[in-house]
Amino acid sequence: MKATREPVAGHYLNLELLGRPHRLYVEEAGQGVPLLCLHTAGSDTRQYRGLMNDAEITRDFRVIAFDMPWHGKSSPPSGWQTEEYRLTSADYSRMVLEVCDALALDRPVVMGCSIGGRIALVLAMEQATRFRAIIGLQSGATIDPYYELTWLHHPQVHGGEASAAYVSGLMAPSSPDAERWETLWHYMQSGPGIFKGDLYFYRGADGDIREQLSAIDTRVCPLYLLTGEYDYSVSPEDTRAAAERIPGVKFTVMPKLGHFPMSENPALFLTYLKPVLAEIKARG
Amino acid sequence: MTRFSFCAKVRTQMALPLDTLQARASGDAQLARFGLDLDCALLIGDGDTDWLVEIARGKVVRVTKGPLVMPKTDLRLRAASETWTRFLEPVPPPGYHDLLALRRYRRIQIEGDIRLMSAYLFYLKRLFALLRAPDA
Repeated sequence: MKATREPVAGHYLNLELLGRPHRLYVEEAGQGVPLLCLHTAGSDTRQYRGLMNDAEITRDFRVIAFDMPWHGKSSPPSGWQTEEYRLTSADYSRMVLEVCDALALDRPVVMGCSIGGRIALVLAMEQATRFRAIIGLQSGATIDPYYELTWLHHPQVHGGEASAAYVSGLMAPSSPDAERWETLWHYMQSGPGIFKGDLYFYRGADGDIREQLSAIDTRVCPLYLLTGEYDYSVSPEDTRAAAERIPGVKFTVMPKLGHFPMSENPALFLTYLKPVLAEIKARG
Repeated sequence: MTRFSFCAKVRTQMALPLDTLQARASGDAQLARFGLDLDCALLIGDGDTDWLVEIARGKVVRVTKGPLVMPKTDLRLRAASETWTRFLEPVPPPGYHDLLALRRYRRIQIEGDIRLMSAYLFYLKRLFALLRAPDA
């Protein structure tokens, strides 16, 4: 096999996030309209490898993704050993804005999946003027808890394997084996308690934002919601219920995809994403 | 009742080919990968029929069809045969394609040692996925 180098560049960014110094890992590829991509709970930027390696996308878009603090190659803040990691809506949206500022991104497109899909809704509600367009993947305004989170972080259970196993069924059966297991490997590598801490964002005080959705004005910032049909964490019905409260939103169900469209089957996902990006580019 | 409809009814009464589970599981590399040190007694309910699956050191060592007399079990998973029939389709419809998808839509009862289930969830999912293959 001939060795090839991907057109993806990674670097570390030292910055203040949420009032504390952080060392953040950032990846990017391409040039043009900045497209900031947010990974799912308990995972990292590798989920967007398909986008960053697609020449058609990177010709017009500067695709950027960062590992959230505590995730991937971004370390937790100093002093983590005495803290329990718990993501909140306010911290998450502030963090996205602080990263945009640190990278000097001018009205980027933001696209997030799962918890990133939820924060996409929050950003659409509260920060619409900051973004050119917002894309929510697997976005829901509320979720139906169907399993106990205790075992995702417990000394008698391997948290990485348990987290991966709990999310494994969220992918479509037809997604390629190699991409599915790559997606699961990212979960297996997650730090202890981090997937669980991310889910606090869903199940904590910010867990239900249905009543606030009508504040979204898609004339200020276009909003696209795309949901894979095999996702039962945020099902197409869940996204549809959110979409019905948002005038002007564009909602698409993606057959043969699940909760991790960009990672479980990048080739198929891009057939849904490219028309959206073309529309955003045409708007300028 | 015609003979045909009688046969159809018998078929839907029990969906999971658990009598072939031991053969299907034997030598499976994924079960070996995720079944490290697993010892457990698993009760699987398929409609009105209970099965006891005994696993030692990650290997399926015995499968017993009910009726069972107060067996000692670590984990119990029960669903209607109609649910298992859809679960077994080569490409199951959304909501029927995974044990936790069944749980999400309240189509399966899962009781017992949930710590054990969480620690060995990949193993359990593989065990059930093996029942989906057409041959024994």
